[in-house]
Parts: sequence; structure tokens; C-alpha cells
Amino acid sequence: MTRETSAEAGCGRFAALIHDRLDGAIGAGAGADLEAHLASCAACRALAADLEDMRRTAASLPDFTPRAEVWARLSERLAGELAARPRPFWTGTRVALAMAATLVVAVTASVWLMRGPSAPAPAPQAAAQGGTPAGTVIQSTGDPVQDVDEHLRIADEHYTAAIAGLEQVVKSGQSELDPALTATLQKNLGVIDQAITESREAIKAQPNNQLAQTSLFEALRQKVALLEDTVALINVMRKGDQAGAAKILGGLSKS
Amino acid sequence: MAIIPSERTEATRPDRDLVQRCRRGDLGAFEDMYKRFGGRLYTVAYRITGSAADAEDLVQDIFLQAYRRLDTFRGEAALGTWLHRLAVNACLDFVRSKQGRRQRMTDPVEDLDALEAPATGPWRAEAALDRLDLERAIAQLPPSYRRAFLMHDVEGLEHHEIGEALGIAEGTSKSLLFKARTRLRSLLRGRDLTGGSQPARGALAAPGSGRLGER
Repeated sequence: MTRETSAEAGCGRFAALIHDRLDGAIGAGAGADLEAHLASCAACRALAADLEDMRRTAASLPDFTPRAEVWARLSERLAGELAARPRPFWTGTRVALAMAATLVVAVTASVWLMRGPSAPAPAPQAAAQGGTPAGTVIQSTGDPVQDVDEHLRIADEHYTAAIAGLEQVVKSGQSELDPALTATLQKNLGVIDQAITESREAIKAQPNNQLAQTSLFEALRQKVALLEDTVALINVMRKGDQAGAAKILGGLSKS
Repeated sequence: MAIIPSERTEATRPDRDLVQRCRRGDLGAFEDMYKRFGGRLYTVAYRITGSAADAEDLVQDIFLQAYRRLDTFRGEAALGTWLHRLAVNACLDFVRSKQGRRQRMTDPVEDLDALEAPATGPWRAEAALDRLDLERAIAQLPPSYRRAFLMHDVEGLEHHEIGEALGIAEGTSKSLLFKARTRLRSLLRGRDLTGGSQPARGALAAPGSGRLGER
């Protein structure tokens, strides 16, 4: 490997130091040596000045403009990706879409199972599992069927009350949300409401249909969870907290 | 301009608005983003890959990648910084994979002993170095010198990044840069930059039918 030659013998070491200093990679001791040398060596001062000039100019070279065809091709590819999205959405789009898809699949699946001809026989002891809100105390009547009915009625009341309260909050703060997000939320709520209606009808026809009961409470739980998250989202949007909003949408995708 | 935005600069309101529009799937917003940053990212790609065709493909891939990763943009850095980092990583990955196939750089390393002109003072007392002169001089560098200079001094990459991308040691990257600067200085010290066997605007001139950017 060759070394840079300099106008004056013995300047080679300092040429390397000049490059190091230019890159901010020089130690204090070497820096002091270099300064002392520069004070007495015009050739090295010229080298340092030229390299600094070159570095400044290099960092300010103009950009190129790509050919128009590049945007034409890119916009086609982007349009393809955008068209492949299930629906337009707000920030955290894919997360929110995943959430929406999860809800639709879960609710649709439970309704399908509920309607299915091979629905298993009801198991009263499991009917209220996950459906009764915590903290509700139900006095046993000694009749399992009547007990389950009571569980269902109270759980339904709790959920319905919670939903009514949440819906009111969401309604008052809906203007904080992007219209596309609101539309998707309404669509999801519509899917859940449909599941609730169908579950109730199925229970009415077959009061002991465990799948219908499970389906009803799962749909109610999902509706409460979705409304709660919407309220939380409205709150963070009011604060302009993008990170918080993204976090909520991230959480929704896991629910 | 080949200036990398400060990592400490947070996203501005227009940055955030633009990102939000892009997240909603507004193609017009992507066009705005491309108008603002397309030239910069294309230039980064061109300088790192050294190929106009590769840069054209890469800049599209970079924007598509940006679209897919918009959810990860938190506004902690300026949008330009975020996109620049995305672009540099994509270009380095590209060069690394291409370099891997080529095994190693094959440029002959020239003897520089005779290249340094006698130095009695700065090259121009009256004016700073002209950018066009520098571009012409860069075009005359051997490819390995040119790559090291463009990646380090123009695009601001670190030696370890250059070394990894090109499959060379960090020390080799430093050595190439040292030689590139030395050669450039020699070329710029009053020599005929448009003469010789090298194309005058082969490396840094606007590639293909492209033009110098307006910014």
C-alpha cells in the first residue's frame, strides 16, 4: 500500500492525521501534535484547507431527479397495494383491520356453530361460564335450569347497562375520530349486534342451547370491549397522543 | 442535497399530516411524499449502487417498504431522516447481496505516489471549490475509490457500514477514502477535468436521461 506523498519530507504521518481530524476521529494528543505541525508547515495547512473544502462541497452536492417513469411505475405498484387492503382505515391501518377481521371471524364462527345441526346438548353448569360479570351473586333456587336462567338474565342486564353507558360516551366523542375509523367501528358493532340478536332468538327458541348462550355472551363481551377501547381511543385522540392511539389499536388486534 | 437530517430533529406537523394521509391510503399523499423525498432517496440509491437502473428499482422498493412500515413511524425523527435510514439500509442490503455474488472488489489499486501535485497553497484562494468540478473529478476516480468517497463523504455512511456492504475490512474502506480524497485533490488542482480517457460525467452526472435535481 502506498502512502500519500507530501511536498515536505516527514509530513506523511500528518497527512493521515489531517484525514482523521476531518472525520472527527483524532485523539487529543494527536490533535495537539497536528496543530503544532500545521503552525509551521504551509503544505499541510494547504492540504487541510483543501480537504475541508472538498468535504463541505461533497456534502452539498445536488440530488438527481429520477425519470418520470419511476413514479409512474411506483404509483401503479402502490395503487395495487392500496387496492388489496380490505377497507380504508385510520392510523395503524393493518392492526385495525386485523382487529376487525378477528371480530368478524369470531362472531360469524360462533353464529355458524350455534345454528349448526350438530350443536351439542346443553350443559347447564357451563352455560354461564364467562358470561356472568364478576361480582354478581346469584342465590340458588335449587333448580339448575332456573339458576341458569337467572344467571343469564342478570349477566345480560349488566352487559346491556354497560353497553348503554359506553355507547353514550362514544356518541359524544365520535367527532374526535376519523370518519373512516368511525365507519369501520359502526360496521363491526353492526356485526356484533346481529350476532346478539340472532343469539337471543336462538335462546328464545331453545332456552337450553349452550352454544347460543355462549355466543350471546361472547358477542356482548366483544361489544363491551370494542366500546371500551373506542372510548379509550377518543380520550387519547383528544390529547393528540398518537403513540397512545397506536397502542390501543395494537391491543385491539390482540383482543 | 446530500445532507443527512439530524437524528435529533422530530417530525414536523406537515410530516405527521403527510404520514397520516398516507396511512389512510391516499395515493395523492404518496405522490406528495415522493415529490418531497424521491430525488433524495433516488440519489442515495444511485450513489450507493452506482447504477441508474438499480437505483430506479430500489427507490420504488424503498417507497413500498415505507408504505408497509408507516405504522412504525412514531414521529421521533423527521420523516426525511426516517426515509433516509430506510433507504440506506435497503441500498446496503442490495449492495451486500450483489457484492457477495461478485466475491470481492476487483479494482486495481493504483500507485498514488506520482499523483499528488506540489502543494504550496490552497487550490483556490478566491473561491470555494465548485460543485461541478468536484463532480467531474469524482467521475474520474477508479470505481472502488469513487464508491468509498460517495458512500462516506457524500452520503455520510460509516466505514463499518461501507465495509460490511462491500465485503471489505473497515480499514480498507478508510484506505480507499484516503486515496480517493488524495486523488481528487490532485485532479482538482488545476488539471483538465474534462480530458483524459474517462467520461467527464460518467459517475455523478445525472444518470440516464435524468437531470440534476432542483433542490
